[in-house]
Amino acid sequence: MRITIFGSGYVGLVTGACLADVGHEVLCVDVDQNKVDGLKQGIVPIHEPGLDTMIVNNMKAGRINFTTDAEEAVKFGQLQFIAVGTPPDEDGSADLKYVLAVARTIATHMQDYKVIIDKSTVPVGTADKVRAAVSETLAERGAELAFDVCSNPEFLKEGNAIEDFSKGARIIVGTDSERVKRAMRECYAPYSRQQDKLMFMDIRSAELTKYAANAMLATKISFINEISRLAEQMGADIENVRHGIGSDPRIGYQFIYPGCGYGGSCFPKDVQALARASHELGQTSELLEAVETVNYRQKGQLFNKLMKAFDGDLKGKTIAVWGLSFKPNTDDMREAPSRTLMESLWEAGAKVQAYDPKASDECRRIYGERDDLTYADHRDDALEGADALVICTEWKEFRTIDFEKLRNALASPVLVDGRNLFDLDAVKAAGLLYFAMGRGDSLNAEAA
Amino acid sequence: MNVTVFGTGYVGLVQGTILADVGHQVVCVDVDEAKVERLKQGDIPIYEPGLEPLVKENYAAGRLVFTTDAEAAVKHGEVQYIAVGTPPDEDGSADLKYVLAVAETIAQHMEGHRIVIDKSTVPVGTADKVRAKISEVLARRERDDLTFDVVSNPEFLKEGSAVADCQKPDRIIIGTESRDTEEVMRELYAPFNRNRDKILVMDVKSAELTKYAANCMLATKISFMNEIASLAERLGADIEMVRQGIGSDPRIGYHFIYPGIGYGGSCFPKDVQALIRAADTIDFDAKVLKAVEARNYAQKTTLFQKIHAHFDGDLAGKTVAIWGLAFKPNTDDMREAPSRVLMEALWDAGAKVQAFDPEAMEEAQRLYGDRDELTLSGTKEAALKGADVLAIVTEWQSFRAPDFDLIQRCLSEPTIFDGRNMFDPKRMARKGFTYYSVGRPS
Repeated sequence: MRITIFGSGYVGLVTGACLADVGHEVLCVDVDQNKVDGLKQGIVPIHEPGLDTMIVNNMKAGRINFTTDAEEAVKFGQLQFIAVGTPPDEDGSADLKYVLAVARTIATHMQDYKVIIDKSTVPVGTADKVRAAVSETLAERGAELAFDVCSNPEFLKEGNAIEDFSKGARIIVGTDSERVKRAMRECYAPYSRQQDKLMFMDIRSAELTKYAANAMLATKISFINEISRLAEQMGADIENVRHGIGSDPRIGYQFIYPGCGYGGSCFPKDVQALARASHELGQTSELLEAVETVNYRQKGQLFNKLMKAFDGDLKGKTIAVWGLSFKPNTDDMREAPSRTLMESLWEAGAKVQAYDPKASDECRRIYGERDDLTYADHRDDALEGADALVICTEWKEFRTIDFEKLRNALASPVLVDGRNLFDLDAVKAAGLLYFAMGRGDSLNAEAA
Repeated sequence: MNVTVFGTGYVGLVQGTILADVGHQVVCVDVDEAKVERLKQGDIPIYEPGLEPLVKENYAAGRLVFTTDAEAAVKHGEVQYIAVGTPPDEDGSADLKYVLAVAETIAQHMEGHRIVIDKSTVPVGTADKVRAKISEVLARRERDDLTFDVVSNPEFLKEGSAVADCQKPDRIIIGTESRDTEEVMRELYAPFNRNRDKILVMDVKSAELTKYAANCMLATKISFMNEIASLAERLGADIEMVRQGIGSDPRIGYHFIYPGIGYGGSCFPKDVQALIRAADTIDFDAKVLKAVEARNYAQKTTLFQKIHAHFDGDLAGKTVAIWGLAFKPNTDDMREAPSRVLMEALWDAGAKVQAFDPEAMEEAQRLYGDRDELTLSGTKEAALKGADVLAIVTEWQSFRAPDFDLIQRCLSEPTIFDGRNMFDPKRMARKGFTYYSVGRPS
């Protein structure tokens, strides 16, 4: 099939590359000339394992191409994916200006039937708005052309997006049209060989499903984080509790890791947008709001633990920070707990020596050059002259460390672990104070 | 092994019976003489599928004994289960008086080493209190030479499938720091631990918290779905499609994400509340849990609100048929059941109720007594006679494929309020029903 994809960001590129890889002909269009030129030379502007190779290979095979020419792009594909950004408005609701601009572009140039697919995460009711925008523009042109709008939310995890696209558990398509169903079946047939992964539903339900899924996952995280705070106060070990509840098949082990809060471009935005939508409908969404509040509170925990370890005075201290990205295998620092930590540390007069396998450039972009932030090229270099170590992200290379060596490198024996990576006994044996999330020295001494 | 179980309520009776069934010698002790006599006759005071024949069989075989004699009971068992009730205090925190009374009894009569097992759902720190109580009494007896250990071993029974849950547990959580105690507990549970090692040993406090955390997580999933369902209604989406959409994500799964009209029963409401209370006492604002509870409270009123809106606010003189009174199927338990919130609201608004439940009729009679505005009908069909509309509150199997023609003939207007999303809205519309459900276009 010939497929057009608007937006060469994260979602658009992964979608385009994967669809090309199974044999479709894909044309990606973006307004950013530099980005398009770069992509044509195989320069992929985001870090996603396997993506650049896939793009280069498919470009060589002639199955994927990049352009800024919207007219050409609209004419190219029967399927027109909208995969542009939906940045949060000031009030937290999703801003649809890019999505609707693409809708009008499609309507301006189309000459025959098109299936317009909302791939971006968009609020419930967006498909209606896209339809209205297309109809309006067509009417202005005096053109009577058939088209359909459907919702096909993405379920990609940064760091694992290619796998998610190719081997995801389900492909959700919101449409009432048989014609769209046929077209989408053809588009996704290569991924539905083992079992039929396509789930058809009405458009609004499909739109809501995306938000609901992310909100549920965020809820699980904030729930376990709230329980981990309680565990600290009560003197229980949250890791034992996690195993205990995870063994219940109605709960399961997935997504109940306590930590220093969720970040990234999806969970915070989607929870906020859903709470916002709810509010506009005159309904309070107490649970979603609580999930957000708890997450906000949780991000401050790393700093609070350091304050506790240093009796409330961090002035002049140097803190080694391992991990800047909001999760491993990405350079994304949007809403990352590391940012909350570093900003609090600077405010308290401390310095940061940071190490991240991928996100140092992103960090430089965000914070620029400053005296109280230096970057190490190796994790152990970040420890030099540091008073304490904080682990913000569970990169694989942080999971095995020589605690004796760590103890000797740090001026104070303080390890704050935002991801509960280590065995308590091993850390304690080295004489380190171990402030983990809901365990170790974070437990209230009186209660324990 | 010789086992003593204090408390022959739901948890104690099921646990004691199942232990006897695998060959342990079990003595169940209760202060209630009448209850003990009934149990000896094979008269089981609670409804739990499969329990009665097991009690009778093991009683007949002499492996399961019922008594009020606490002294003999304490002397009998190497392990002593505390499985008495922990009713919520006025402020929602768990009341430990029965638990501590048993601890005292054990300490009074013990003559050798005893392992005391907290089986009741008790707040974090209870094992410490039990330990302190026993030490105190032993000191008073001047028997400091007697050794004991206190173990947390929370139950994970679901009403309606408690026998199976106990016989084939997903996990057995044992909170103890003592190797010797662990060994005894492993021996005790070995008959249930054959398929794979299901035993998780941890510190006592973590074990205590695990029980609350598990129930609170499940309650959170339910309130989350109910919040989204309420949103779906307003957005014009279908929560059942959304449920399937998110359930297919293996990180979420299909379990426990059914929208409905709120959770009830003796565990979820109590445990969520108790953990909120416990958090309050240590100045921790448990925001998620509070929101979970608030949502559940609101959710229980939604069925009434739909009925109220349907009749334009005028329910005086209307008769509502209600199917299902128990808080969930396969139990007669009506504690915190959504049916109660609905009935009470209907009565307040001047409506009458004709109710049917396969098991909970006696419980409803006990709770509400004889009153003009409540008719307890002998069958689900009888509940429909002369009613204006039907409300389905509990998803009993026997409600899933009803005779729709009969319903239509019986009701003055063919309208169903379904709190459990049992039917397909389109199909109901084709049949000529006005059909209200949860989180779906009506």
